[in-house]
Amino acid sequence: MKFILYLFILSIFSLISCSESPYMQGKRLYTANCQNCHMEDGSGLAKLVPSLQESAILGSAMMSCIIKNGLQDTIRNNNTFLVREMPAFGKLSATEVTNIVNYINHSWHKDFKETHITEVEDALKSCQ
Amino acid sequence: MKLKLYTLIFGLMAVFACNDGIKELPYLGNKVVENGKEIYHKVGQFNHYNQDSILMTNQDLADYIYVADFFFTSCPSICPKVAKEMLKIHDALKDDPQVKVVSFTIDPVRDTPAKLKLYGDNLGIDHNKWIFLTGDKDATLDLASTYFVAALEDADAPGGFDHSGKIVLVDKEGHVRSFSEGTDPTTTPKLIEDIKKLSASYKTSQ
Repeated sequence: MKFILYLFILSIFSLISCSESPYMQGKRLYTANCQNCHMEDGSGLAKLVPSLQESAILGSAMMSCIIKNGLQDTIRNNNTFLVREMPAFGKLSATEVTNIVNYINHSWHKDFKETHITEVEDALKSCQ
Repeated sequence: MKLKLYTLIFGLMAVFACNDGIKELPYLGNKVVENGKEIYHKVGQFNHYNQDSILMTNQDLADYIYVADFFFTSCPSICPKVAKEMLKIHDALKDDPQVKVVSFTIDPVRDTPAKLKLYGDNLGIDHNKWIFLTGDKDATLDLASTYFVAALEDADAPGGFDHSGKIVLVDKEGHVRSFSEGTDPTTTPKLIEDIKKLSASYKTSQ
């Protein structure tokens, strides 16, 4: 009986831990800054807002610059995006950008590797 | 045992009775008096250009039921979310010629017919089904209130306009019959059911 109880508690724990991203701060920042356009599941909106799920930009150092400075020119994905530019989120600190980058990569990048804040700081220094 | 069986049968009957028949959708809003007769609330008159720069009025939609929202293409806040739900409705009802989808822009200075056409192209829509309308700004903001949508100019709001993301179902006579919250995807399936129900009611009455 006790064994079953332990098993039950263990399974509840594993359920809870599976449903939550380890990057909660990043998730909150994503919800506040990115989700309105890129959607909760990162799927974007047709050809108006690029999907993050299959984006080639994931995992690259470019991410930090795009989040911080936006993209004034049209974002193209196989040359099918016609309008829209991404606004800048200049108020975000390097820490916040790191949190967002890690949340996005952990959620949708196949080869997830944690990005360290020093990498983001270096990337932000060399933004064009 | 027999008693249990009876209870079960009665229970089942009660459940079926509740689902039985198509319950008519309510008429939303207060009644008004028109020509001495009391009638249900109607949406206001519009005189707007569509994405092909053709002038349209309520009369052009008199043979259709439609869902409407108020938005603007450069909106950085809730619009993409609402557009995603509008797109779901557009796709779910693409085979019902009686249903149209209508989006009014509240930012006519930036949203020209050409820009609305491009926006629609990017959404991948059928331009015969989904009509984008642009017209006088103040008239559009006033019009929104007759659809029970809050829309106003506000320099402090993202993009310069503050507005709610309701998607409103209007019948052929111009009465508001149902709505969903465009910002809450869980409310969309119910609206799609209501659209089908309303569409069916015209088919049976003909």
